[in-house]
Amino acid sequence: MSAGLYVHVPFCLTRCGYCDFNAHAGLDELKPRYLRALMREASLVSPGWSGVGVGSVFLGGGTPTTIEPPDLRALLEHLRASFDVRPDAEVTIEANPDTVDEARLTGLRASGFGRLSMGAQSFDAGVLTALERVHSPDSVRSAFAAARAAGNGNVNLDLIYGAHGETLASWERTLRETIELGPEHVSAYALTIEPATPLGRKVAAGMVPAPDPDLQADMFEAACVSLAGAGYVHYEVSNWAKPGFECLHNLGYWERRPYVGLGAGAHSFRDGTRWWNLRPPEQYMAAVEAGEAPIGGRETLEPADARFEEMFLRLRTFRGVPSGAVDLDRATPLLQAGFLERNNGSLVPTERGLLVLNELVLALTAS
Amino acid sequence: MTDTSHIRNFCIVAHIDHGKSTLADRLLEITHTVEGRSMRAQYLDKMDLERERGITIKAQAVRLLQDGYELNLIDTPGHVDFTYEVSRSLAACEGAILLVDAAQGLEAQTLANYHLARDAGLVIVPAVNKIDLPAAEPAQRAEELATLLDGDPQEILHVSAKTGQGVDELLAAIVERVPPPTGDPSAPLQALIFDSAYDPYRGVITYVRVQDGTLPGFARIRMFATGARSESEETGVMAPEATPVASLGPGEVGYLVTGLKDVHQAKVGDTITLDGKQGADEPLPGYREPKPMVWSGLFPSEGGDYSDLREALDKLKLSDSALVYEPETSRALGFGFRVGFLGLLHMDIVRERLEREFDLELISTAPNVEFHVVTGEDEITVHNPAEMPPGGYDRVDEPIVFATVITPSDHLGAVMELCQSRRGELVDMTYITPERVEVHYVLPLAEIVFDFFDQLKSRTRGFASLDYEPWGVKEANLVKVDVLLHGEPVDAFSSVVHREKAYEYGKRMVERLKELIPRQLFDVAIQAAIGSKVIARETVKAKRKDVLAKCYGGDITRKRKLLEEQKKGKARMRRVGRVDVPQEAFIAALRVDEGAKR
Repeated sequence: MSAGLYVHVPFCLTRCGYCDFNAHAGLDELKPRYLRALMREASLVSPGWSGVGVGSVFLGGGTPTTIEPPDLRALLEHLRASFDVRPDAEVTIEANPDTVDEARLTGLRASGFGRLSMGAQSFDAGVLTALERVHSPDSVRSAFAAARAAGNGNVNLDLIYGAHGETLASWERTLRETIELGPEHVSAYALTIEPATPLGRKVAAGMVPAPDPDLQADMFEAACVSLAGAGYVHYEVSNWAKPGFECLHNLGYWERRPYVGLGAGAHSFRDGTRWWNLRPPEQYMAAVEAGEAPIGGRETLEPADARFEEMFLRLRTFRGVPSGAVDLDRATPLLQAGFLERNNGSLVPTERGLLVLNELVLALTAS
Repeated sequence: MTDTSHIRNFCIVAHIDHGKSTLADRLLEITHTVEGRSMRAQYLDKMDLERERGITIKAQAVRLLQDGYELNLIDTPGHVDFTYEVSRSLAACEGAILLVDAAQGLEAQTLANYHLARDAGLVIVPAVNKIDLPAAEPAQRAEELATLLDGDPQEILHVSAKTGQGVDELLAAIVERVPPPTGDPSAPLQALIFDSAYDPYRGVITYVRVQDGTLPGFARIRMFATGARSESEETGVMAPEATPVASLGPGEVGYLVTGLKDVHQAKVGDTITLDGKQGADEPLPGYREPKPMVWSGLFPSEGGDYSDLREALDKLKLSDSALVYEPETSRALGFGFRVGFLGLLHMDIVRERLEREFDLELISTAPNVEFHVVTGEDEITVHNPAEMPPGGYDRVDEPIVFATVITPSDHLGAVMELCQSRRGELVDMTYITPERVEVHYVLPLAEIVFDFFDQLKSRTRGFASLDYEPWGVKEANLVKVDVLLHGEPVDAFSSVVHREKAYEYGKRMVERLKELIPRQLFDVAIQAAIGSKVIARETVKAKRKDVLAKCYGGDITRKRKLLEEQKKGKARMRRVGRVDVPQEAFIAALRVDEGAKR
């Protein structure tokens, strides 16, 4: 079984209002030190993973492309030297449209970053403003063209639906524009209000309404219809791909394959245990520089919790769960109501079922 | 033992807030029964619950000594739920202070208790209280009282229980006007129980008035009505703390430690005599079994507490002889009890004591009255809507009450409108003064137990007052309204209501439930129905979106915890058929509009 390797880059040009990731703007002077820490951490932890083949590498953030391409190249080379990264491994880098151009993208591709995941979010300028994104729809288009010009044939666009002011018609336009660009992969996320974000505080204060779940359901259904019509396979709650372009790295999370995370706040998982690094970049770097594993916490799941986790993760994808793993008395009404269906000995959620996945998971596992 | 000529037994008849407890405090002080240092407000209202609510639940007697006279102040409950207890307290007295707030004037409960006192042959000592208030109109109140009593305004005392002004004169008037008790110390013993309480250390303690004969501290005693026998352990007087005495003679008032372990063996209104040949042949007249008027289901709000609830009720019963209950099983709420109460206040007090003293969380179903259902030859008594015969019936009788409302005359129209809308029949009305009217209605009790009092207060800007007494039963066009969730009847929401009110009840319930039931994976129909006929309907639309949009490596632990929380929330819900109903929905849907108490 192959493992995933995740590297967290916590730097951004600006913080977006909805984002609760471990990301920071204005810490640029930390970058060289942070890169050294990443490499040192790789050297520290990789012996523990010897003999485990790495099938995917994912540089996420934050915005990894705020780091200069030569540094990214050096980092990837160090990762390959430290871990048993397979030659055919999927290597993804997340990018912000404003941080890439054809030259940079060409450099990244030459360095081995074969898959590009770009935060487009919307083609509606009003929605981008509501999300506090600084880029414009045009910069998405030009960044995408640059990726193609650089020869990248595996591009993902991230979209977000349900921001304040976005209508179903506007979302359908965003979907159309996305399809016209023709990326290999589309991630479309229902906007989720996280309490500890500027947007979360505005919603709590009543300054901005919370997303309407029924409208978001309509938008989800619109995405299902348009993307299927354009040849995309809906393979996870929020992910669609042209056949053969599913993100292997992310599938690993949902199938509970092992993964190692490097960088501030990154999570690792192996043999039923999950642990995570110190979240503040400063603390993380200090620990690594002291030659210590920068671990902030860990958990080992009880068998019942592990089964529950496996259930809710696997049900996110169209691979579903083996029929035998589910109490048929619980599954039957959900099958009859069209929330689940059988597929090759597995139970998989329908698109309607995916939309109410929390309820399905609880109905299937209720004690 | 005091010579009867130097004993005066009296009570205070007053409306809530008209100053009865304050007057009692002043009497304790002026007679030096309680010295200033140990004085505290509302001294006689011992239970915490009573002190907080500002009302007196349990009657109590206190002995005051003044100029060689033994003055026994017998406290009476001031609430309509406890009319029978009031009548027993009155039966222990020869006189009553009729105390009226100088600003607010006569209220219905005062008037009702005044009638009880007069009917019991008590001498009335009228007094206008709170004359220190700026809004006081003592002359006008005195006029009003004089009209009521058919007496001279000159005889009406003016006092301020707060400042003590006029209280000496009041004491003198009691000695002067209230006749001494009569009785023969060597006659067979007849002692009236006007209150009883349970003490965890000493068992059942009764408060008694000796009518005839002598009650010794140690004796073999017998209760007439219950037939209970025991060896009494102590007799004494409250001065105001319990003070043992060798015996109580005719006309005296005090307590008796009965040696009994269950208050149901020593009921209010019963007569104590000596066991054996020297005992009396007859009890004192007027004993009545306590009769519950209002019923409600009580259920533990979290499953598994049923045995705790049973234990708590068993314990509470020791000190509350009016409390009755039987096990009940609800499909929606599980195991619980159907509990009978004297009235809504009693219901509230019991509930509050269960929650506070026994640390229980309870769901109570909508209160209902007792119905008599006739089907052919059969007649059954129904305490619970679930017991209504499913196949129909020939006749239903419901309890009715004789209600007295006193209102400022400019609100008379509003009062009459309310009474008519509650199926009331006007009996008569009298102008106490040109500004105040006393109206009598016969009303179904069921109409009063909900929000009648609240409505009365809000429609008269708080000026009208209410009292009622049981008035038998009457045939009524009653139907059982069921509430169905997704086609399943929810027994806890069923109610027996008048046919004309059925739609209103059904509509209100389905509308409330629509707000309270969370969206589920399917449309949930909420219906109110009479038999198979649906009279109101709402739908909780199916939940369409409930999914975590993102779940990657760093999110999994947190998202699992979120789901576990959601799972716990679900586990706390009650499942009715396929529908998950939160506990709060039961509590909120069944809430009687606030203030239906008092």
